[in-house]
Amino acid sequence: MHFHPCFSRRHFLAQQGIAGTTLAIASLFNHKAIAEPPKPDLTRRTMDLLPKAPHYPAQAKAMISMFMQGGPSHVDLFDRKLELEKRNGEKYEGELKYDNAAESSAKIWAGPWKWERYGQCGMELSELVPHMGSIADDITLIRSMNTGVNNHGQSIYALHHGRITAGRPVLGSWLTYGIGSESQRLPAFVVLTDPGGLPVLGTDCWSNGWLPSIYQGTVIRPQEPRIRNLNPPPHLAGKPQKAYLQMLQKINAEHLQGHPNETDLEARIATYALAEAMQSAASEALDIGQETEATHKMYGLDQEATREYGTRCLIARRLVERGVRFVQIYTSTQQWDHHGNIEKALPASCLKTDQPSAALVKDLKQRGLLDSTLVHWGGEMGRLPVIQNEKNVGRDHNTYGFSSWLAGGGIRSGCIHGATDDFGYNAITDIVHHYDYHATLLYLFGLDPGKLSFPRPGTVGTLLDGQPGQVVRGILNQPPPSA
Amino acid sequence: MGIRGIDDFRFFSCLPLPPQRMQVLPMHCIYFITPPFGANIGQRYRSRSGWQRQWVVVWTFCFPFALCMAFGLGWSPNGVAQSVPDSQQLFYETDIRPILKTHCFHCHGESDHRESGLDLRLVRFMQSGGDSGPALHPGSPADSLLWQRVEADEMPPGNKYLSQPEKDLLRRWIESGAATKRTEPEQPSLETWTEEERSYWVFRPVQRPMVPRFSGSEAEREPIANPIDAFILYGLQQRGLTFSPPADRVSLIRRLSLDLLGMPPSPEEVTAFAEDPSPDAYEQLVDRWLSDPRYGERWGRHWLDVAGYADSDGYTEQDAERPWAYPYRDYVIQAHNRDTPADQFVIEQMAGDELVPLPWDRLQPDQIERLAATGFLRTAPDGTGQEGVDANVARNDVVAETIKIVSSSFLGLTVGCAQCHDHRYDPISQKDYYRIRAILEPGLDWKQWRDRNAKLVNLWVPEEKQRAADVDKELAELEGKRVAELDSIVNDIFDKEVMKLMEELREPARMARSTPADQRTAEQQKLMRDYPSLNVDRGSAILYDGARINEFNKKYDTEKTGISNKRPADRYLASFSEVPEQTPTTFVFARGDFQQPKDPVSPGSLSILDEHEAIPLDDPNLTTSGRRLAFAKLLTKGTHPLLTRTLVNQIWAHHFGRGIAAMPGDLGMLGERPTHPELLDWLASEWVESGWSRKRLHRLILTSKTYQQSSSRSGRSHEVDPENLWLGRMSIRRLDAETVRDSMLMASGSLVNQLNGPPIPVNPDEVGQIILGKATRDGNGILVAKQEDTRDSYRRSIYTQIRRSMPLGVLEPFDPATLSPNCDRRPSSTVATQSLLMMNNGIVIQLSENFARRVQREVGDDSALQIAHAWRLAFGTPATPDQLTNGVDWIDRLRQQLTKPTEGTALPSDGEPPGTLEAVQANHQALALYCQSLFSSNAFLYVD
Repeated sequence: MHFHPCFSRRHFLAQQGIAGTTLAIASLFNHKAIAEPPKPDLTRRTMDLLPKAPHYPAQAKAMISMFMQGGPSHVDLFDRKLELEKRNGEKYEGELKYDNAAESSAKIWAGPWKWERYGQCGMELSELVPHMGSIADDITLIRSMNTGVNNHGQSIYALHHGRITAGRPVLGSWLTYGIGSESQRLPAFVVLTDPGGLPVLGTDCWSNGWLPSIYQGTVIRPQEPRIRNLNPPPHLAGKPQKAYLQMLQKINAEHLQGHPNETDLEARIATYALAEAMQSAASEALDIGQETEATHKMYGLDQEATREYGTRCLIARRLVERGVRFVQIYTSTQQWDHHGNIEKALPASCLKTDQPSAALVKDLKQRGLLDSTLVHWGGEMGRLPVIQNEKNVGRDHNTYGFSSWLAGGGIRSGCIHGATDDFGYNAITDIVHHYDYHATLLYLFGLDPGKLSFPRPGTVGTLLDGQPGQVVRGILNQPPPSA
Repeated sequence: MGIRGIDDFRFFSCLPLPPQRMQVLPMHCIYFITPPFGANIGQRYRSRSGWQRQWVVVWTFCFPFALCMAFGLGWSPNGVAQSVPDSQQLFYETDIRPILKTHCFHCHGESDHRESGLDLRLVRFMQSGGDSGPALHPGSPADSLLWQRVEADEMPPGNKYLSQPEKDLLRRWIESGAATKRTEPEQPSLETWTEEERSYWVFRPVQRPMVPRFSGSEAEREPIANPIDAFILYGLQQRGLTFSPPADRVSLIRRLSLDLLGMPPSPEEVTAFAEDPSPDAYEQLVDRWLSDPRYGERWGRHWLDVAGYADSDGYTEQDAERPWAYPYRDYVIQAHNRDTPADQFVIEQMAGDELVPLPWDRLQPDQIERLAATGFLRTAPDGTGQEGVDANVARNDVVAETIKIVSSSFLGLTVGCAQCHDHRYDPISQKDYYRIRAILEPGLDWKQWRDRNAKLVNLWVPEEKQRAADVDKELAELEGKRVAELDSIVNDIFDKEVMKLMEELREPARMARSTPADQRTAEQQKLMRDYPSLNVDRGSAILYDGARINEFNKKYDTEKTGISNKRPADRYLASFSEVPEQTPTTFVFARGDFQQPKDPVSPGSLSILDEHEAIPLDDPNLTTSGRRLAFAKLLTKGTHPLLTRTLVNQIWAHHFGRGIAAMPGDLGMLGERPTHPELLDWLASEWVESGWSRKRLHRLILTSKTYQQSSSRSGRSHEVDPENLWLGRMSIRRLDAETVRDSMLMASGSLVNQLNGPPIPVNPDEVGQIILGKATRDGNGILVAKQEDTRDSYRRSIYTQIRRSMPLGVLEPFDPATLSPNCDRRPSSTVATQSLLMMNNGIVIQLSENFARRVQREVGDDSALQIAHAWRLAFGTPATPDQLTNGVDWIDRLRQQLTKPTEGTALPSDGEPPGTLEAVQANHQALALYCQSLFSSNAFLYVD
């Protein structure tokens, strides 16, 4: 068995790597390795977050995923169905899978929202997402997503780590395991949670599973301390901590005088300096005060509805700019799960995210970062074409056909991929399963889905886990050579 | 020097040693060969206890080490042969065979099918050759196929070729005529080990070496405390070194306390010891702490590393909990505290169940302990019975991992390497591996596997079992009642839904529902589809009438709880056991593949030790096979070269930070050679003769001068021996993970001392860090844990749950034991995560605040007194006057900064925001930060 539980989880940012003795720090002091004859490679590997060459040239260097938990209604936002408009109020003829049978009806419903064509590509989108309309020529809209498991948890798992049960390493862990991070001062894999609460699966969403714990996502919290263990609690931040470090430095310096030639003691003193540097790097990255007013406005920081989400999108850009590999932005629990009251709640969710999401793409583009930064926007499901709860209209779950969009990092611009049936229930053309989506992301990062693996008892673990993931060639600027 | 030079060494070797070979030996391999002559240390202790009389008497002239080390190092296992002087005659057995064994035998000799018909195990076979003709022409490498293929890197296949020194040796050997040392045997039986292999140091019998003696004047100059010092001093003198001065008393008591108890001493203990005038103050302290229960927690933890103890299964993502593993942990702690002799400790762990006659229904406390001891054999990661796991692979993995644990713990060898083929480096045959497997297989029968629950021992007495059965019956009846009532609610709901339909659809809907789904007509199916709310069932009823269902559930839950409360509390034990009359045959698996069983094997141990037939198939006097008991007795017979050396080396390693052999889990060719093999043997024999007492061994080590030295890197010792292999000083060491936390608990006065019991649960908090606490649902219904503040939160780290997938956040950065599957040596890293933890972690901050409160409580509000007390609590040492003044000033300044300005006071001139605290809080806060700086300092995190 090759499971190294010492690496198994939840180290929050051991940037120097773990295992072995006095690793990176010791090298600062020319610590000579014990002169032992070389031995067969039976020892465990040292894990670190240093940048690593991918298996073949990468098109994407970083990724920001805006995960829309709950399942945005694709038939109201991204995937117009004339059949719904035509047969509004009639009974749906086929079989549907409901999550909530009690409130279910088979009555077809077309939302009240208007549709418009945007950009040179003429992408048809709902009036609820006009800002996304303004980036239509920069994105690929996939209308044929499918995970095929009819509840939130399973589908979130499938999109995060390839399978429907807990415990596996998520995409961000795989990427940072495969190619490390450009920054050794900032966490490699950052998670920006919503002040409204954790995602429904809690911390499983950034679990390193059975990958070494340094590949766990690091949460930047909505309140202080923004990063646990990296930032002090508010009452110790600033002056008190500075004073503490000065006193510590003094005690350590005196102690060192009494212990000449103890390089490990010197190394540990240096780790405090490095820890401080990491702390200030994170504070600097989170300081959006450095951004211009125009930028603030662009992300909607001047408006109540968009300020919070816009701030996190802006932070995501600042992190990627500083070398962070993977940023995951969450909405609060079930934000998009519109079983009822969809006529008010859907516009509200759109209002919160539309402008900031579009601003992120525009901002990356104007800074020349979009080519190397993959942006994802989407949830774990879409909604049914029929009414749930006639008294308080909503739509029930649908994981058989839904929409997501991608931009940058080698993704085609102004492109629509795949289609659902006439009612938007099942993806029928160019279906993109979660494992196809993953295969495509790995391809863009230059990673071979078979080679990016980790030893497991009796087998090797991979993101695709043996599922037949295909690179979605149709959405790529430079698809892989045909087999 | 008062000892005779090394010229004498050859008189004491039983086999001739080529003189040239000595040149290639590193210094540390030859020093001990000199017979130590000297006078007085025997007399010094002769009046004391038994062991001290023994160690002066014996000197064996058959001192094996010189020889075996010489041959052991003539080549090295990594594929890089050490240079052998050009003039020296090369032999197949000594110089070439180890190279070919490493690289070639697997395909050309050991397996049934020999590639190209070529067998390289004997020179004769090379000459007769294989399908491509002779492989060897003695005298002519150019004509030897063997050399051609190797030189061109065509062989071995793959990308691991022979190194240049290995190639040079091979070429020179062929050029010089391809000599063998002795006549080759008829057939190269795989288990006919060569002289060279048999004489490798760790396989030689443990011989009690004579203790080096020193002549009069030198003995005066370098008084030594016990035989350990004699051996160490001898090694030092060979390098022109000597002992460092003794450590000061404060350093010494802190060292001893952290070593024996895993936490710093109290200031009272420090003062008492520092001022104790009695000549044996130190010895008394050692004795007192050896009988402190914290000793068992500290040293039990060391053994749990070796055993690979965990409170979860690992293997799969689920990492299921093992709620009944902890009795083994408690057994280990108790065995240490009671000083259970190590031979008994080994026997109980390997075969405690074989000592408890069936049936196990009214177990006595001592029997329960024996069963708990076999938890040792249940620590391996276990994925059996988990979803998505190939059952046969998982079962065989459990067996293989258990073999690894047993062999690295008791044999000090990586026996696991012989699972698929003969060990590449050590003389362990594949057959040996399966013999050991045969010892375990009656309890780990992969073809008739018992799941984890079936292997639990239920500690209920028959009356309790009856009571539980009665309760179960009552619960089953209740469940029947509940389902019937639920069904009638579902029907009510359906009736209501039907009434929402148009009149004419109601009867058809009732008909459709009462028809089984797969027998409905197309029309009925359409009806149910058009009105999906008709599909109500037990599961979805709550969506229709939440209030009623909630009330219903509440009623039954209450009733169920009432009945369940009558059930006796669960009491189980994860023990090892065999099923009587069920003894499987063990087979050698070709390439380790359980689907390719080959020859059957009988239980046995290593053939290199001639123990391969030492274990009977079945013991007629036991209901079990008796194999493990026989194995354990073989190991503990007192002269087992591997067991005794392995256990003594483990203990030594924890006292000094490095084993006499540096890799306690691998004393084989891939491990490092011992620095002081004769000391290791002396300790091993002394230990066995004095009754396997762990505490006596500790006492012997702790009272040595070697242990009590200062740790200062004085010029010469540091220059000559920077790694401190020769122990001319004590090594400075970082505290291990548990000791860091336990020491903070102790110094801050927060520690709750409570032995034994179920593990304290760990869970992820809201950002995913693992903390002590139970997982509960937050306001949004998401499962997260909150740091708990109960008595349990302040117990020693050994009692925190060890979930393989959830290492406790406050321990993880400091390199706790890896569990893959067990851990014979922890690394000691220095990384920024450790510093960040000390700076910002909530637990560290909380304990610093506790520390400050304790200091305030014990010495009041005077800063100077506070600082002096905090230093003594954290480090044992008093602060210097300078440190006191500095500290007082610092606290004063910080206190002012933190205090809310009163009206009229000037705001800070540095532009920083003013303080916000009341004076009392500011006092406390400043002191707490001072305390935190003590916790974070090297003086706290290291032991001198």
